[in-house]
Amino acid sequence: MADIVDIAVSAGSFQTLVTAVQLAGLVETLKSPGPFTVFAPTDDAFEKLPEGTVQTLAQNIPQLARILTYHVVPGKLKASDLAQLNKLTSVEGSEIPIDTSEGFEVKNATVIAPDIEADNGVIHVIDTVLLMG
Amino acid sequence: MLSVLIWVPILSAAVIGFLPSSAIQQNRVRLVSLNVAGLVFLWNIFLLLKFDINTPGMQLQEYLPWNETLGLSYKLGVDGLSILMLLLNSLLTWIAIYGSSKETKRPQLFYSLILLVSGGVAGAFLTENLLLFFLFYELELIPFYLLISIWGGEKRGYAATKFLIYTAISGALVLASFFGIVWLTGSTNFNYDALPTQTLPTVLQIILLVGIVLGFGIKIPLIPFHTWLPDAYVEASAPIAILLGGVLAKLGTYGLLRFGMGMFPQAWSILAPTLAIWGAVSAIYGAVIAIAQKDIKRMVAYSSIGHMGYVLLACAASTALAIVGAVAQMVSHGIILAILFHLVGVVESKVGTRDIDKLNGLMNPIRGLPLTSALLILGGMASAGIPGMTGFIAEFIVFQGSFSIFPIPTLLCVVATGFTAVYFVILLNRTCFGRLDSQSAYYPKVEWSEKIPALILAVLIIFLGVQPTWLVRWCEPTTTAMVATIPPLEKAVTPQVALLNPSKSIAE
Amino acid sequence: MTATVTKAILPPSTHEFAPIIHRLEAGGAMLPDTPENLMQIIGIYKAYAVPMDFYWRDLLYIAERVFLDPFPFFKYFLPKEYLELHNHYAGDDADLRIWRGKATAHPELLAFMEKGETFKMPKLFHHLWHDRVNMEFAEACMRAMLWHRGMGGKFDPYLDTDEYKANADRAIKAYFQGNPVMLGLYKLFPEMFIEQVRQLSYYSNLGLFWEVMAPVFFEMSDRYDAGDIKTVPEAMNFLVNAIFAIAGRPIYHHLHIRGEVYEIIPKSCGFMWLYEAALPYVEAVFYRTAPFRGTKSYNAQAQQVPEDQKDFHYGILYADVFPVGTAGIPPTLLMQDMLHFLPQYLIDYYQQHCRGKDDMLIQLGISFQRSMYVVTSAVIQALRTALLYPLDDPNPRHLKANRAFFEAQLNRFKRPEARLRDVQSQNYR
Repeated sequence: MADIVDIAVSAGSFQTLVTAVQLAGLVETLKSPGPFTVFAPTDDAFEKLPEGTVQTLAQNIPQLARILTYHVVPGKLKASDLAQLNKLTSVEGSEIPIDTSEGFEVKNATVIAPDIEADNGVIHVIDTVLLMG
Repeated sequence: MLSVLIWVPILSAAVIGFLPSSAIQQNRVRLVSLNVAGLVFLWNIFLLLKFDINTPGMQLQEYLPWNETLGLSYKLGVDGLSILMLLLNSLLTWIAIYGSSKETKRPQLFYSLILLVSGGVAGAFLTENLLLFFLFYELELIPFYLLISIWGGEKRGYAATKFLIYTAISGALVLASFFGIVWLTGSTNFNYDALPTQTLPTVLQIILLVGIVLGFGIKIPLIPFHTWLPDAYVEASAPIAILLGGVLAKLGTYGLLRFGMGMFPQAWSILAPTLAIWGAVSAIYGAVIAIAQKDIKRMVAYSSIGHMGYVLLACAASTALAIVGAVAQMVSHGIILAILFHLVGVVESKVGTRDIDKLNGLMNPIRGLPLTSALLILGGMASAGIPGMTGFIAEFIVFQGSFSIFPIPTLLCVVATGFTAVYFVILLNRTCFGRLDSQSAYYPKVEWSEKIPALILAVLIIFLGVQPTWLVRWCEPTTTAMVATIPPLEKAVTPQVALLNPSKSIAE
Repeated sequence: MTATVTKAILPPSTHEFAPIIHRLEAGGAMLPDTPENLMQIIGIYKAYAVPMDFYWRDLLYIAERVFLDPFPFFKYFLPKEYLELHNHYAGDDADLRIWRGKATAHPELLAFMEKGETFKMPKLFHHLWHDRVNMEFAEACMRAMLWHRGMGGKFDPYLDTDEYKANADRAIKAYFQGNPVMLGLYKLFPEMFIEQVRQLSYYSNLGLFWEVMAPVFFEMSDRYDAGDIKTVPEAMNFLVNAIFAIAGRPIYHHLHIRGEVYEIIPKSCGFMWLYEAALPYVEAVFYRTAPFRGTKSYNAQAQQVPEDQKDFHYGILYADVFPVGTAGIPPTLLMQDMLHFLPQYLIDYYQQHCRGKDDMLIQLGISFQRSMYVVTSAVIQALRTALLYPLDDPNPRHLKANRAFFEAQLNRFKRPEARLRDVQSQNYR
């Protein structure tokens, strides 16, 4: 099977995310065995952010890395596993609340496609970029 | 020379009053009266310079026989006692006119009445004839009644009527005593120096003196005849209150000195202990009641009662120093009262209330009334007798002069001075300090024409406080001469005697 | 704006400030949307941005060059190098061009620094006469942030780490190289020096924060003058977009000694403008601050000052502006600075109200309070966008979460000192 990065690249709707990961130098990390659970925002999710946000982040790699690592949780947690948890701790250090009462929500994002399996983890596709706080 | 002080204001009053309103712009009337008052004040300064400090008796005299059958003659003179009173009168008239609002209704009537009053008071201070004094004394009555009842506050009708009745009774008592003097001594006219009151038996002297004391006691005022004062002062507008408190009240103490102590020295020394206690009671009462007030103007009015008590104490003690103190206190109190009433008037017109519970934070430099508050603090502290200002000078001389004769009443008056500080600190703390309420504190700014009278008075207060000789040098010879005629008080205890015989009791 | 959608889905709020909640839910600000309000806030933003241009440059100058100078008598004498330092968000070579204007110091600022309120004299005389930009205000804001600390973000905890202390140690030793007296003092009192370096890190934090805000305010003013911003919500939305656009700006503390750069807080720590600078600043300066010394005595036993720092309510959103101009009120410094750079339309406006020219300081102070309520609204809306749901979200559960968030934010303004109620009326001047 493909790893997380390959799946993202081939899916076609994660171009912004892939570029960001490459800029932040996180490609190696996300190709490593892990495993990782990644909440992947689509290109539309990045579009929703006001103009200039991504540009500033792209100019500042450590800050970009921080935002990206907030979307990554160690371990392979599928939707069924997440249904029993109500929060996770991301690689960045801050918490991500989970709400599976009505549909599958991660913080203020809705998971539009859960459980996309990869060699080194699982991807859940979300419709909003997650931000700490 | 002296007649100028009487007739220029009175004639100007007539001119201003009777001029048809089309002949003069209404907003020019204030300016015209201000100029008249200014000229009178300058003439007064001129007379002051002509005044010979070293002569104790009457100077610059004028004499015109008027109505010999009645014993009424136009006899004017000025001595150490009255020269300062005249200056106070013309200064406060000018201040009152300057401090009056430019939008005063019916200005012609208003300013002509003020000038009339000013001229009349000058006449009362100048005259050496008892009946003439009574005429000028009564001249004040109707103009002041009109001034209070037309331009006053809410309860002006009540206050003005009360003032009228009390002052009329005061005049009646004084007139009765005057008639008594003339009839009993059998003299042909009312001239002051022609009345041989010393020849009367002591009992009659005491009766006549009591009449004079009661009559002028209503005017000063003394407890319990004071009840007209708070209403009159509070309901009158600020300039009228200045004239009432600064000038008219002094007429009472002047009369007491001139006609009471001056004409009945023996009876005076007999009544003196009673008068001293009365003065102390008046001082304490005025101060204590002032502490309880919620209306700042009423507080100042009661403080006036308290301060007049010191004058009575000093007159009762009748040592040379004490009488100097009495005159100094009369002048100093007049100036301080003027600044206080003026500033309270400014506060009321800008903020809209006099209630101490509502006023707050006026020292705010941008949205408040900083200069007004600062001068209010100065005025309040001057009234409380803080050194460096004229109030301290006057009170200190009064206490120093009276302590050897009446130690207990003097100590009570000192306590009253302490109380004065209490209520002024209350007033200043609540009014000037604290926080402006941002819901309601949108006050108009204070114009220069409202600041200048207070500034002038403040400068005078500090100047006289720092150079008191300019206050006392005029009256010393006259007062020393007056005191010389009074027999030593029976109850007097000199410090040397007290030290030699500590067991000797004071009261007998 | 989809006000009708929200109102149709949720019943009206029962909060004390229900009308304001509904306005926020419709995409508005806490300040009512009137042309008069808009004119006031934009004018004040511009008047605020000019001295802010000086503040951020001088703050960075102090953090990066003056550093631990024991006698910093000339720390307010900004050198040419810093006046010409390019703002990263203005000018042609900007990282992200927020303002259409130049990257160097604003011309009005330079003109004021020349003449002050009086006339052209040597800088030292201007400084001694205090006829200059009141930098003390910026330092007071910095001190508020330093004193409160612990307000979220990772910047503050980092200041206590060993890594930071090691960086600071290296910097101190380099700075005092060849100065045995100061190095000796450092050996005796190491913690004192480290604490001073922490304070300087906050100088840098605030300087980098304001470096961004100045072009934002300038751009708002230019857009208003050109007619592109016509309502208060439009102004607020510009702020929201700006907050997002620069959210990722790095926060760091670099020391420049003799040509070398010592990174006390490196960019690689990943500290972001939004979390490590903006949010702590809003919390410390808008909400909390500290009671102004010298104006009133507070009885601690009578609980007149809150026991918890988080309950402090002395910031601009709670301030009584009427004492401005009195001694001991730090905002007076800012108001006086802003007085020098008011646009003409605001001066004309103030002259028609209250005491005209005489109380302009207070009138503009109150306009400033209104404008800071709009900035706070922008922060609230930005947080809602980042952490919660869009205003036109069809899901009622999401809308309820939004409303709960707004209500929680507005709960902080329930206390009597809050000025939220006053700014709703135009008569509050």
